[in-house]
Amino acid sequence: MRPHAYRILLSSSGRYLVLLVASVLFVVPYLLALLASLKPLNQMFSGSPFSLPHPLTWHNFVELINQYDFGHFLLNTAVVAICIAVGQVFFCALAAYAFAKMDFPGKNALFAVFIAMLLVPGTVTIIPMFIIVKNLGLLDSLPALIIPYVASSVFGVFLMRQFFLRIPEDLVSAAKVDGANSFQVLTKVMMPLSRPVLITFGIMSFVYGWNNFLWPLIATNGNGARVLTVGIATFQSSFGTDWNLMMAGGVLSLLPLVLLFLVFQRYIVSSIQLTSFR
Amino acid sequence: MASPSTLEVTGVPGRSVRARPFTVSPSAPSAGRWPRLRRYGVAYLYLLPSLVGAGLFILVPVIAVVVLGFFSWNLIGSPHYVGLANYHAIFGSALFWSSLQTTAIYVVLTVVPLVVLSLGMAMLLRNKFMGAGVFRTIAVLPWLATPVAIGVIWEWIFNPQNGVINNVLSFFGITGPAWLSSFTLALPTVAFVTVWQFLGYNMLFFLAGLQGIPNSLYEACELDGANAVQRFYRITLPLLSPTMLFVTVIDMISSFQVFDTVYVMTNGGPGYSTQVMNFTIYQHAFQFLQIGYASALSVILFVIILVITVLQFLYFRKRLTYDLS
Repeated sequence: MRPHAYRILLSSSGRYLVLLVASVLFVVPYLLALLASLKPLNQMFSGSPFSLPHPLTWHNFVELINQYDFGHFLLNTAVVAICIAVGQVFFCALAAYAFAKMDFPGKNALFAVFIAMLLVPGTVTIIPMFIIVKNLGLLDSLPALIIPYVASSVFGVFLMRQFFLRIPEDLVSAAKVDGANSFQVLTKVMMPLSRPVLITFGIMSFVYGWNNFLWPLIATNGNGARVLTVGIATFQSSFGTDWNLMMAGGVLSLLPLVLLFLVFQRYIVSSIQLTSFR
Repeated sequence: MASPSTLEVTGVPGRSVRARPFTVSPSAPSAGRWPRLRRYGVAYLYLLPSLVGAGLFILVPVIAVVVLGFFSWNLIGSPHYVGLANYHAIFGSALFWSSLQTTAIYVVLTVVPLVVLSLGMAMLLRNKFMGAGVFRTIAVLPWLATPVAIGVIWEWIFNPQNGVINNVLSFFGITGPAWLSSFTLALPTVAFVTVWQFLGYNMLFFLAGLQGIPNSLYEACELDGANAVQRFYRITLPLLSPTMLFVTVIDMISSFQVFDTVYVMTNGGPGYSTQVMNFTIYQHAFQFLQIGYASALSVILFVIILVITVLQFLYFRKRLTYDLS
């Protein structure tokens, strides 16, 4: 009995040790960046990276916002991410509803085209996308960052269709008997019943829009429609050694996502079950 | 999924519920001037935004990129047809082969550690114990992080002068290398950051996969005298192969397209040592304005990703002998 107990203790403490080291690795970059973003520049070069900020200063954030327009970038990023999230949820729900609960000629063929488009990697289409957006006269504007994504999530259509298919047909016909038109069936029956999948997909779209870099880098030029990711990269190429300011820029981009994660943790973790459908 | 309270279908406000007699009136949906349009119009209306969006920004671009690959164009003048000249130039270009090789190495350096480590972590988290939920949360946190921001932060951490890693190393009397400006270390360092970011995300897939394996199999195996290692190779691994396939495929697809972290951490350097395919495409298209050449490069990247996806599915389909679903 005793050796067995020892073995359990040993193996579980070994497991805790491994997991503790891993957690430190996952969290430490965030904490170090936060510490650094609150330090004056000279402390970045003198003290240890683990030392507490002394004096603790908001000056880095103030300087980024006042001198380098990062407040504006933050606002742009939020607008783009929110528009993409709301638009993708709404337009995907519409299309998914048509595929899941309606009959029309060409349905199977259209759905096959949608599935085929799932196989197209995002970066392959970026050159023609640039030419199209340029010809639409949208370059260097916020719509250029929103419109290409707002109604083109094939994945979202597929995901929501799977979910809508599981909602019993009886509920749809019952609502119709009550006098609901198909749009009301979608917004008052299907969407409330699929709230978890809508929220999860909305978060994924928001994060995608927030983090997007290559497209805004190509499609915007001036400060007007610049987003945080491009702002950080541009700042880095001009002032690459102002580590305290760069860390503050990083924190500006990461902090809202960390908050989002803490609030919607349950939905984010459940996104795994949603994306691993086969 | 939904709580019972949301399941009730409430009447639609503003309309009284009428009972309808079960008679087919002459003005049933099939009548009218455009019977088909009236009947199916709503469905097409709902599909319209997605058809336009996906058509204009996925389908048309993917056709256009193939067509543009046969043209020479600098975005300003008019494009002219050059046949396979772009492909000839690409296959004769040393930079193409080096960026292809760099991308392949990067894919191996990210996908192999990701699969092995995330499976290992999932095995450790498999049984319920105190703190498992907290650890899972912490591990998934980097998945959402902005790659550009994370890239800048890790660039500082790996900075040879005042970075964290070499600071810690010097505490032990070791002079750390110049990670990101070293020809041999730059690529593995960037790959490390990718592994850091997606480890927890991959782990969730394996956790879900492990939960799908019935305990009775392990119990039966244990009765037959199999030890932990045998149980892993005979039960866990074969039954996890669908999850392995899925994780490997999504990791490879995203690793082949890496751009953000490379752009901010090394900008392709030193030399061309971290210049991956997508970075070469970006440079040719938007810095050198060689739209045709860059399009042909995009097509090659597309074909590589497609072939690997299909091959992996075929390979695993042959080996998937257990089906628990």
